[in-house]
Amino acid sequence: MARSGPLLTLGSVVALAAILLTVDLRISSAPSKASPVAAASPAGRVSPSASASASVAPVASAPLHALFAGRTSGDEFTVAIAINGAKAAADLNAGLSSQATLQGSVSGGQVTLTGGNGVGLTGSASSTAVFGLITAFGRTFPFSAEPAVVQAVYAGRSSGNEVTLAIDTEGDKAVAYVCNGKTVEAWLQGSVSGNQVTLTGNNGAGLTGSLSGLDLFGTVTPRTGQTFPFAAALSPHPAGVYQARIEVNGLATRIGWAVLPDGTQVGVAVEGTAKVPAPPLDLIDNGFTLDGASFTAALVAGQDTVVSP
Amino acid sequence: MTTSEQTTAGPARDQFATPIVVSLLGGCAVAILIGVYAKLHHPTGFALDIAGFSSPLYAKAWLSTAAIVFAAVQLGTAARMRRPTAPAWLATVHRWSGRIAILLTVPVIIHCIYALGFQTYSLRVLVHSVLGCLFYGAFVAKMLSLGLVDRRAMPRWLLPVLGGVVLLSLIGVWATSALWLFTTKGLHS
Repeated sequence: MARSGPLLTLGSVVALAAILLTVDLRISSAPSKASPVAAASPAGRVSPSASASASVAPVASAPLHALFAGRTSGDEFTVAIAINGAKAAADLNAGLSSQATLQGSVSGGQVTLTGGNGVGLTGSASSTAVFGLITAFGRTFPFSAEPAVVQAVYAGRSSGNEVTLAIDTEGDKAVAYVCNGKTVEAWLQGSVSGNQVTLTGNNGAGLTGSLSGLDLFGTVTPRTGQTFPFAAALSPHPAGVYQARIEVNGLATRIGWAVLPDGTQVGVAVEGTAKVPAPPLDLIDNGFTLDGASFTAALVAGQDTVVSP
Repeated sequence: MTTSEQTTAGPARDQFATPIVVSLLGGCAVAILIGVYAKLHHPTGFALDIAGFSSPLYAKAWLSTAAIVFAAVQLGTAARMRRPTAPAWLATVHRWSGRIAILLTVPVIIHCIYALGFQTYSLRVLVHSVLGCLFYGAFVAKMLSLGLVDRRAMPRWLLPVLGGVVLLSLIGVWATSALWLFTTKGLHS
């Protein structure tokens, strides 16, 4: 025969747990509707700024954005060719003492590059290979090159400066970190297909963009209900996505920084329950201090996993 | 006298095996469910602030410390209330201290599994996560045993073992969280 006392105790525990869980669910879903970012930046959700919209120039159909690496048929040179829309550049290397840099253009799939000392390269480029001839030392060398996995960083801001973001592409994979330095942040993961970059994250976050020349334009959604147009440019070090996963006050803490090429850094630390501005990151050694302790952040690569499935 | 009853009731005890198995499996299911939910649910980082404490962390630490105090009462009363000379109020104290203790832990565990999740990034955190699941599983198993199993046919070891697991896992959970917090960050509210 069942006794009711212990089962009532059990029932009341379950009831209290259910009430608290419901309260948590309601409160945690509220901020995304209330959109605190709107208060932080009243100028939010404006139309794309002049720089963002005007720079999206019409580009010839299916522009290539890829790095190709290969050799001449007799193995005289190694060649690396970077194609970014209508522009292209190449490095030739014939050993330690002999290298040349070539620059030029791409038109209708035809690559024409020239360098010093009468060195030149002509070829036809497709998304899968570049074939052609290299002219050097008064001779011509046939060559072929295939797409290489290349890491590139694009860094920039949304048009109303609501958020700062950095995107790292590596081959056909890409990651991004977008944040406002205070309370809004999102990690994004996705792919590069042709010149299209498509990333997604948790809580409705996402990014879509098009590579155009040396720029990346598109829209970024740090979380449901907030979508901003952005412009990002191919950026050298120290630009990039930086991450640290540490323990603070016993809480798993994840810090992200989006760093622009001039060293400007915007980051958010998620300390278990709270989002706070990230501590300043030393861009020389990637170190930072928090609560008196020293830590090191890592530069995130496009192949890394930043959004747990 | 009790002993002779237990031995003679031996063969007939089988008919009560089902409720015991159901109780223990129920406890296991709850422990696993909590663990899996805490692991799969994406931690929100959301914190329900409780007034009067410096941080949600300290609110949780003091709630679980209060639960530990009531758990000590549990141990003291459980060890004595089966004695023939035990006063009747001892059982009442045992029940109500247990009810208060478990209810004090509910806001803590909800915050844990909803906002933080099942984490494994250090030994302390891993032990805490596992013991937290075990604590609730053992509690559910003990309540189901008390409610479903006939007291006279219940194996003598069942309640002490389940109660012991509940108490020890609570002590472990408290030692890996509240005690750790007090010793590393200071004893304050």
